[in-house]
Amino acid sequence: MTGPAPAGIRYVSTRADTGAGLPPGPRPRRRRGTLPRRLLAPLAAVTLLTLVGLGPLLAPHPPDRTVGPPWASPDGSTPLGTDALGRDVLSRVLAGGTGLLSLALVAALAAVLLGTAAGLWSGWAGGGAARRVAWVGDLLLAVPAPVLALVLATALSGASAVVTASVMAGAPLTARVVADEVAVLRRGGWVRAAVERGERAPAVLLREILPALRGLATADAGLRLVTALQLAAALSVLGLGPQPPAPDWALMLREGLPGTALNPAALLAPALALALCAWVLGAASRSAGRTGGAR
Amino acid sequence: MSPRLPARLSARVAVLALAATVVVFAATELLPGDAGDTRDAGRATEEEIAARRVELGLDRPAPVRYLLWLGGLLTGDPGRSLITGRPVAEILGERLPATTALVAVSLLLATLLTALALLLAHLRGGRGGSIAAGLAAVPQPAWAAVLGGLLAGLLGWVPPVSLLPPGGSAWSSPQALVLPALTLALPSAAYATGLLQGVLVDTLRRPHVVDAERRGLSPLAVLWRHVVPFLWVPALRVGALLAGGITAGTALVETIFGYPGIGGLLVSAVAVRDIPVVQAAALPPILVLLAGVLVADLVAARSGAGAGDGTGAADEGFRPRTPDPIGGVR
Repeated sequence: MTGPAPAGIRYVSTRADTGAGLPPGPRPRRRRGTLPRRLLAPLAAVTLLTLVGLGPLLAPHPPDRTVGPPWASPDGSTPLGTDALGRDVLSRVLAGGTGLLSLALVAALAAVLLGTAAGLWSGWAGGGAARRVAWVGDLLLAVPAPVLALVLATALSGASAVVTASVMAGAPLTARVVADEVAVLRRGGWVRAAVERGERAPAVLLREILPALRGLATADAGLRLVTALQLAAALSVLGLGPQPPAPDWALMLREGLPGTALNPAALLAPALALALCAWVLGAASRSAGRTGGAR
Repeated sequence: MSPRLPARLSARVAVLALAATVVVFAATELLPGDAGDTRDAGRATEEEIAARRVELGLDRPAPVRYLLWLGGLLTGDPGRSLITGRPVAEILGERLPATTALVAVSLLLATLLTALALLLAHLRGGRGGSIAAGLAAVPQPAWAAVLGGLLAGLLGWVPPVSLLPPGGSAWSSPQALVLPALTLALPSAAYATGLLQGVLVDTLRRPHVVDAERRGLSPLAVLWRHVVPFLWVPALRVGALLAGGITAGTALVETIFGYPGIGGLLVSAVAVRDIPVVQAAALPPILVLLAGVLVADLVAARSGAGAGDGTGAADEGFRPRTPDPIGGVR
């Protein structure tokens, strides 16, 4: 139900072009991707996230108070008109992203942390351990994330279902990218030097390998975030998330659909806000992937 | 190709399918209470609930219940609905044609759109990948809202609710398919374009393609004769992802547009905790995805056979990285 497969299984190969064995030092500057352009998407993402976080404070009206007739067209006090119950659409859009995005952030963070830990371990251990981790990942990936979230929602609350599904379907992907990269990095001279110095595996992983994974992990976290946002929006639109009258972009989509002919803004404003967030977060992730060294 | 490879690939997919049924079953087992009190919530006495639990077999340990459920599934009897008491197979059976029609139309539409987008991107020098990736990130509810609001609300071209006439099939009222199919196909096509764009660009850098361009072949001839043959396997793998994703997406789309299929059934069963229906209705997306993976793997294994015939073009090292729904990038 969320995205095209949504919830996509996206994977960035790293082995081919990271330059196996190079230390993660300064890389040759590329002609394209000069500083301002490179920072455009991440800056937009940070701005947008701040705006969504502060949105409830900026709302001109309380999001659940009736301020005019139902489906009123935009005017002075309600710049985006009103919804089915005469509530201010602008206030509801400003207040409606906080819950969705914070849920997506928690879900993505959980997936990335677990996936990175599993990837670090299996990439470092190699051999049988790595194969076992990969096999468990394959098993989990056979169930599409939206289906997993729905099935989990029989027993868990919508939010817990989103987090659990995001971890079960996302962590294996993160683990795989990280493990591939670690398997390459551990052959690097600076890593071997640390091992020769007698440092123990956890110290080497934390101090020598983790910093080199920064770009990769950021890019991957962006993908997990977009997927979690899609999951959260889907469950919410299906009525398994926040309940009315909570302001929530996905709920607003369903509530706004019947009144499209009267006040299209009640439907289009939350739809565009949701779409914009997902687009910008995805772009920031791709940008981190390009500039972070790991393609 | 080793002669045993197809058998090995089929076995891998069978194990994955089995594991998926375990995941689905275990996920519905997380509920602290159980189905014993679902039907008569609050109205039954302790003894009645205990009797119902025995009747439904809930007093047995979970592994036994899983095996019984799996056995029922394989023999075509996944139990009865806790709400209506009707056999799950019957409920699913009457909704299967509608969902099959929706998935088939959406998949066809997504394939055509992806081919078109890739062709456009190729003719424009390999650009447009970030637009496709951006569109693919947009959550499906937003697509549903914008398409529904535009086509049904503002333009009035199609009905806002995709009800089918009683007894009628989706093919007899194609206007009901427009909104659900577009909502499923557009983001899927964007996603597939984003994935295949990279493979296309990689293929275009290959020596034989560069040579063909230098020989003065037209871009379309280069594309058809020297690039497309390399794209079959990646395209099939992405196709498996799309088919699984579209089938999974029916849950959302059928619910929003009121289309009477298995996806909508899954959502309503989740809402009332009708566990047997949830367990069975969750399986189609998994089976479609795994069937697609198997087809892609078998075709990849067959084309891998060309490596030994001396042409070398299909040699493993020459193949572009291809996304694999289950196994990452090959």
